[in-house]
Amino acid sequence: MTALVRLRLAGFLRTGRALAPVLAGLVALGILYGGGRAQPAEAYGVSAVVLFPVLAWQTKLLLDVEPDGQRRLAQVVVGARRERAAGLVAAVVAALGTVAVAMIFPWLVGGVTGPVEPGDRSIAVGLALGLWAHLLAVPPAVLLGALASRACTGSAGYGVAVLALGAVGAVVLGLSGSVAPWLAPPIMPTARTAAGDAAALTVTLLTLWALAWSGVALAGYVWRRRSRA
Amino acid sequence: MRLENVWLRYHRRGPWVLQGVDVRIGAGEAAVVLGRNGVGKSTLLQVAAGVLRPARGRVADRPARVGWVPERFPADQPFTVEHYLGAMGRMAGLTAPEADRAVGVWVERLGLTRFRRVRLPELSKGTAQKVGLAQAMLRRPGLLVLDEPWEGLDATARELVPELIDEVLGDGGSVLVSDHRGETVRLPGARRWAVADGTVTEEGPPATEEVAVVEVAVPAARVAGVVARLRAEGHRVLGVRLGSAADPAGPTGDVAADPAGPGADAAAPAAAGDGRPLDTSLLVDQPSAVDPSAGVRR
Repeated sequence: MTALVRLRLAGFLRTGRALAPVLAGLVALGILYGGGRAQPAEAYGVSAVVLFPVLAWQTKLLLDVEPDGQRRLAQVVVGARRERAAGLVAAVVAALGTVAVAMIFPWLVGGVTGPVEPGDRSIAVGLALGLWAHLLAVPPAVLLGALASRACTGSAGYGVAVLALGAVGAVVLGLSGSVAPWLAPPIMPTARTAAGDAAALTVTLLTLWALAWSGVALAGYVWRRRSRA
Repeated sequence: MRLENVWLRYHRRGPWVLQGVDVRIGAGEAAVVLGRNGVGKSTLLQVAAGVLRPARGRVADRPARVGWVPERFPADQPFTVEHYLGAMGRMAGLTAPEADRAVGVWVERLGLTRFRRVRLPELSKGTAQKVGLAQAMLRRPGLLVLDEPWEGLDATARELVPELIDEVLGDGGSVLVSDHRGETVRLPGARRWAVADGTVTEEGPPATEEVAVVEVAVPAARVAGVVARLRAEGHRVLGVRLGSAADPAGPTGDVAADPAGPGADAAAPAAAGDGRPLDTSLLVDQPSAVDPSAGVRR
């Protein structure tokens, strides 16, 4: 499976498809951090929200690079389960690279600051919360991108629709006072928690929420791939 | 491997492409899938290879290692021939050195040496098809599925396809092959599955003819390959016996007793006790008229 992960990542990089989401991510982060300095946890929470659609789009691009015929060949060689898993693992690896850029970027452009007033969180705590917020966004974003991939939707048009609805839905349904916040991954509540008190129980519950949402999305992805195989 | 009551359609409300297909193929057997365009030959092959999942029914006892050569090789990939085949070899479970070795062997055999560092999209259709053949053979498959393998190949490579099939059969593997160009006359020993109206029927063997027995002397080291090839060409190998190079017809060793069992006579010693190379004498059942001058006894 490692060989298939590497082949897919190599295809993603060699075709230049990786460039578009990286540039989009950098532009979004540049706008985010261009307005002034903020505390790390607060800034990273918003950064995770901004990156959520970028990570999903990046996943869709990565999975769509491979021709359908090659995906079927890979399925014959490594088996259907491993073929599906290899795609998701490659997308997670690519997403972690983007998250690493997002964690470093604000320090390069002076977008974050250390504790200013008494009661402000230390830089270490802010970094930890920021990393948590980004890592929490990765599984739902990867699975949204996978659900929008050609292997699932069968056409570019449906894929874009799934991606756009998923990304907008995650923000709209995550707003305070949403009637069905549980329908979306907890991207917005995570950003609010990172900027607020970030109690251990809240962090735990949000983590479980993200994992549960990802589990449901994963089941949907597997069902869709099996039914289209 | 067996396909048991396999039904398949591509869309929920679409027409059934395969309806209640029941076929089986044993180790060391080849089957040619015949039928008009669009009757479901490729679909049947893809179900057998594990690319498509039947809506109903099941595929049982599929060998662990399957080599699939699709009708059109997906050449729109940003890799060189060497990089791609190396990656496919590692995906098939070979270590990096093993994959490199296998790539070297198949690149050489298929005449791809000068294309090693050429990117896949720059290959001609026939050369890309050779890459498709190579990826399926990097690790010897237990089931080789060839969808129109002769398409776009040059004369030399076309001759190579039956050779590859023989090798897989000789190792106890199974082969499924579709063809609309009539190239499968090169596989006279293969079973023939006719696909029509979503069903598969096996065409019976040709009418019984008078048979003749031919004794053929071959070097002992080549006996397995020759036996496999004779079987693939539809001959029945009645037995194998050992003889010295000086007296190929004189039996000096054991005689394999199972004339029809695949691989029963594949393991022949390469040398006599005194170190001299041995020839092996094969008794072959020849189902057609033969040249009497060739030493045939009826």
